[in-house]
Amino acid sequence: MGGIEGFGIISICMFVGVFTGALIWACFQKKPFMNSMGTMPLRDGEPVADEKGQSHHE
Amino acid sequence: MSEAMQKPVEPGKIETFKYDNSIVRAFAIATVIWGVVGMSAGLLCAIQLFYPGANFDLQFVTFGRIRPVHTNAVIFAFVGNGMFMGIYYSLQRLCKARMFSDKISWFHFWGWNAIIVAAAITLPLGFTTSKEYAELEWPIKIAIAVVWVAFTVNLLGTIVKRREKHIYVAIWFYIATALTVAVLHIVNGLEVPVTMWKGYSVYAGVQDALVQWWYGHNAVAFFLTTPYLGLMYYFLPKAANRPVFSYRLSIIHFWALIFLYIWAGPHHLLYTALPDWAQSLGMVFSIMLIAPSWGGMLNGLLTLRGAWDKVRQDPMLKFMVVAVTAYGMATIEGPTLAIKSVNSLSHYTDWTIAHVHTGALGWNGFLTFSMLYYLFPRLYNTKLWSTKLANYHFWIAVLGMMFYIVPMYWAGITEGLMWKQFNKDGFLQYPNFLEIVVQIIPMYRLRAIGGTLYITGTFLMAFNLWRTARNGKFAPDTEVQAASFRTQSVVETKHPWGHRLLEGKPMLLASLALVAVLIGGMIEIIPMFVIKENVPTISSVKPYTPLELLGRDIYIREGCLACHSQMIRPFRSETERYGEYSKAGEFVYDHPFLWGSKRIGPDLHRVGGKYPDAWHYNHLDDPRSTSPGSIMPRYSWLLTQTLDTTSLPARISALRRVGVPYPAGYENKAFADLKTQQAKIVTDLQVGQIKADPDKEIIAVIAYLQRLGTDIKAAPAAPVAAPAPAPVKTALLNVKTENQN
Repeated sequence: MGGIEGFGIISICMFVGVFTGALIWACFQKKPFMNSMGTMPLRDGEPVADEKGQSHHE
Repeated sequence: MSEAMQKPVEPGKIETFKYDNSIVRAFAIATVIWGVVGMSAGLLCAIQLFYPGANFDLQFVTFGRIRPVHTNAVIFAFVGNGMFMGIYYSLQRLCKARMFSDKISWFHFWGWNAIIVAAAITLPLGFTTSKEYAELEWPIKIAIAVVWVAFTVNLLGTIVKRREKHIYVAIWFYIATALTVAVLHIVNGLEVPVTMWKGYSVYAGVQDALVQWWYGHNAVAFFLTTPYLGLMYYFLPKAANRPVFSYRLSIIHFWALIFLYIWAGPHHLLYTALPDWAQSLGMVFSIMLIAPSWGGMLNGLLTLRGAWDKVRQDPMLKFMVVAVTAYGMATIEGPTLAIKSVNSLSHYTDWTIAHVHTGALGWNGFLTFSMLYYLFPRLYNTKLWSTKLANYHFWIAVLGMMFYIVPMYWAGITEGLMWKQFNKDGFLQYPNFLEIVVQIIPMYRLRAIGGTLYITGTFLMAFNLWRTARNGKFAPDTEVQAASFRTQSVVETKHPWGHRLLEGKPMLLASLALVAVLIGGMIEIIPMFVIKENVPTISSVKPYTPLELLGRDIYIREGCLACHSQMIRPFRSETERYGEYSKAGEFVYDHPFLWGSKRIGPDLHRVGGKYPDAWHYNHLDDPRSTSPGSIMPRYSWLLTQTLDTTSLPARISALRRVGVPYPAGYENKAFADLKTQQAKIVTDLQVGQIKADPDKEIIAVIAYLQRLGTDIKAAPAAPVAAPAPAPVKTALLNVKTENQN
């Protein structure tokens, strides 16, 4: 069937475009911002595991 | 209770509000209950494979009907409730806002669990579409769509009203899940209703197969993977008290994952009648998927840098580590299985089952257990009742996984190789399928031991969590204070539509994610419908007769698809065993397709004409009477239940609407044709000294089975008379010589 190979090429180009865009965007983000985002679960106000991790029944 | 309306506040001013814990607890309890139910159904299935009498000769609990109960319960009930439990907990805290609407939260909870109850009732009754992980009939599918939309509204509404400006990566995964599952469910679920509990897929044959596995694999991707990756990105840092290893990596792997996953569906259809170009796309994209999948795995494991001592002490972290590791194992194995040469061995074997359960038991199961152990102490403001019991659970469950997966690898490779083995004279070494089945029965016994261990661990967990709850005091809300980044109060109007809805990033994110997931589906699916050469027509293929159609619907009802495939691959080992390989054009009237994905029993696509009617009669009544050693259950009720023909006209009309060329008004002639064919089969049965009632279901099933695969042996249809001679279409027997096995 004719032309079908075009779909694969178009899709690869789209993916490479989006992926490259995401890669560039991620690389140009400032490190303090990235570090801040990475610690977001630890800043949600809920206690972390240490404070309630231990069992009282063995 | 939704937050009260407040007066406008200055940006950065502290606001007081409450997180809803009640909804989290509800989903958590449902998770545990359905986990036990779903795993029990799985154990029953496992036992039936070496002890067919475990269905007690009841039609409601045969393997074919119980397997979908198991898959639906563990995927949508256990993992589904687990996912919602984790999302409702983490989303509020990451957004620093209560859920958008308490009413929608509870509608979501009760609606979702009512759907599961409906599934648990309708599937054993035989109301099924037969499409894997989409078995529920159309009324329930509509309910799923309604409840899912409610969940999506609640999710996006909470994000819109958030106080935390930045949207954490976990939330991106939740958004991708919500949007993509909606698209998958609606597109794959399109049916023409026949009766209240029966519909026909609008797609047929090859096209139905592609849509089904576009859906099926992306149910794995966007129901079992992306939400759990999001939950991993929240609960793992919380448990380890460590930041995410690389937030940059999470951005890149998110976009790569959601784009690539959609394309992988055709890897379920390698060496089938699906066009080669679609198979190749599925294979290539599946292999590329290793990168973002392992990006997620490594991000998770490396987050534990400097916290490995905590893993030794904390059972929650133990479960989390094994979950992420199992995710890595499954996501390297999946692409490996998607390579055509590997798939030529593994397809239809227990290797696929081993792979599925690495992900299901390891990734989904263990991560769910981890979240439950994390959440219950916090919801009840106490400590876990017994860390020792949690550790016992961990080791028993790990042992259970090993006893499950390793025997299934053994069984899968054994059967794959034995199916393909030729002797020195060039004949099949094991021409009788049963010779191979008996070799792997011991592996089925070991697998059942594995499942028993795994479910035992789950019971230990349920007990531990119950005692934890009894010792603690549940807090339905958690009051917190947080500053908003907004210039106005979070709830300035009751329904923040309009400008708020369009506000910046969450909607842009959702739109881009939707575009990313739609591309793959459109490029793979649209050409299958638009380009006719993808499904070469065969002129001798005709629609099923009325009796065959009713027989086919009984085949679907009984779940025969669970054990028997109808797709012969172009390998010499298959054509020697089953007959001519299956062509795309043979399935054009199959609504839905019934290619199957597992061969516990032999392929049936060319069974038509292979055995006399009496053989089928005796075989369905008691498989062991014709096939000693068979593990197929008895279907004796087919000999006594009267065939229901009342909906026959509606079935014919419905099929005509989706393109099956029954002549106009054929409904009036259908009953006469049905009676004629019934009478013929009854006469044939007398040759085998069987006196059968023509109105029983067995006659319809025999009619259907005897039709299978015979179309290409029939004479081509006469050319249509025209002023100028028209070229006669012949079957495009695209005989490619595949690698002989």
